[in-house]
Amino acid sequence: MLPFGLPMTTRVRAVTVARPVPAARRLGFVGLIIQGVLDLKTRGRLIQHLVSTDLKRTHADTVIGQLWWLIDPFFQMAIYSILVTVIFHKKIEDAPLFLFAAILPWKWFQSTVSEATTSVTGRGNLIRQLQFPKIVLPAAATLAGSVSFFFGLFSLALLYVFYPHHLSHWLLTIPIIAAVQFVFTLALSILFSAVNTFYRDVQNLLRHVMRIWFYMSPALYSLADLQGSGFRYVLAFNPFTYILESYRNVAYYHAAPEWGALAGVLALSLVLLAFSIWVFKRVETGFAKIL
Amino acid sequence: MPDSAYAVDVQDLGIRYNLRLTRRTTLKGSLAELVGRKQQVESHFWALRHINFKIGHGESLGIVGPNGAGKSTLLLALAGILAPNEGSITLNGRVSTLLTLGAGFEMEVSGRDNIGLIGAFMGIRHKTMQQLTPSIIEFADIGPFIDAPVRTYSTGMRARLGFAIATAVAPDILLLDEVLGTGDEEFRGRSQQRIRDLVARAKAIVLVSHDLTYITEFCDRAILMDMGQILYEGSPAETVEFYKERVRQRKRMLEEEAHRFTMPLPKPVTLDRQAS
Repeated sequence: MLPFGLPMTTRVRAVTVARPVPAARRLGFVGLIIQGVLDLKTRGRLIQHLVSTDLKRTHADTVIGQLWWLIDPFFQMAIYSILVTVIFHKKIEDAPLFLFAAILPWKWFQSTVSEATTSVTGRGNLIRQLQFPKIVLPAAATLAGSVSFFFGLFSLALLYVFYPHHLSHWLLTIPIIAAVQFVFTLALSILFSAVNTFYRDVQNLLRHVMRIWFYMSPALYSLADLQGSGFRYVLAFNPFTYILESYRNVAYYHAAPEWGALAGVLALSLVLLAFSIWVFKRVETGFAKIL
Repeated sequence: MPDSAYAVDVQDLGIRYNLRLTRRTTLKGSLAELVGRKQQVESHFWALRHINFKIGHGESLGIVGPNGAGKSTLLLALAGILAPNEGSITLNGRVSTLLTLGAGFEMEVSGRDNIGLIGAFMGIRHKTMQQLTPSIIEFADIGPFIDAPVRTYSTGMRARLGFAIATAVAPDILLLDEVLGTGDEEFRGRSQQRIRDLVARAKAIVLVSHDLTYITEFCDRAILMDMGQILYEGSPAETVEFYKERVRQRKRMLEEEAHRFTMPLPKPVTLDRQAS
């Protein structure tokens, strides 16, 4: 007899015949994507609750509450305006509007993706206790971020009090540009939230990637500034080049969005979204075990 | 083909944990593995294996066993939270768990908002939840605090609200894991009554408890688990007796071992005899 009454077991490697396949693998590529979309559709009410909870939580303890949605982007714009015009002596006509038209949508993208990335890991407690489609978490985070962007648009509107000559009917196309950006953001949110559950490095890495991405997007400068520079070709591969240039066209230049490029970004985003949903559904069953 | 005559039908269930992933993986670890520096550890652990049982309609099953036997893992699998790696689980009816109460509370928003949120997580229809809200608030007995952030609640208030939400809708298959006593004396009385109601209305019950009197009182049948397997299945009284006997045997064995180490040692050989 072994000490302390441990049973004397011999390790027998049991061979299981015809091991049933887990449900996630039984459904194919398309099946999992359809299931993911259905999850989002049938749990609309849950998403709605999550979004409203998120909005209530964010500024719950502040004196002026929701007004921060308007004030935050203003401060950021002021800082960049000073940086670009005073420190770098860059001559931009009506710089605040020029910068704001790009910084506002970028902030939407950046804060939404980083919020969504931790949306699954942040709910570990609940995931270990309750069965529900986890894909609602990054989707709700993306939607909550979009609501903040919507409020931010009011501060953009306020800017036209100072720059009325930049107003044009093209401003009405902002929802279309935002819709393209939304699909792209949602795709990355779903993908990163799934991967971050397995590799927590993603959330740390993302901070740096986002910063580099920002400077490699035409936010503090326009694509035209890069005339003759090789850097142009790097930016050509960046979806945000076309998204930000489109925003600036309609908000600053009295011009149409870059329709062709936007269509391309939308197509790419839809493919990416399908892929992200597939990855998410594929690994979803493992969340409860590793969280 | 699983028989629908049963409320719960578990066949050859196996739940496996991937130890490599459970250990808070970082990219560094995975990269090291890719490069070939594989750590020499068992990469899988079967928390449950070859589990077979059925629960008929109207039947309640008790599960006993020492810590780490796999009882809670089994409940998680029945609740659909853990997907089987082997075998199958067939459930006929809506399943609900009363695991740790108050999990998933959003601290910064009000109790009322939390009722809506948790209800939506549980998949209860919005209309139903709205109708139930007054009775939940009444049962939780937290008065005007219902519109204050949950952060400001006392531990007891949180537990009561969690219990009230979790038990608001009667499930067909009720999974219970040691939650038969929460809160003060007064609330414990009401919560026990609520549990009895749920038990009476449920089609099937699975109860995990270390309190063996609950098993004999509430259950029609019981199983003993250890090391992820079913060791004994029978009437609650038989199973509890078998379990107690096993614990006694273990204890005796331990005592014998301990005794062997504390026996007086033979007289030590003195040094001066060895000298010269």
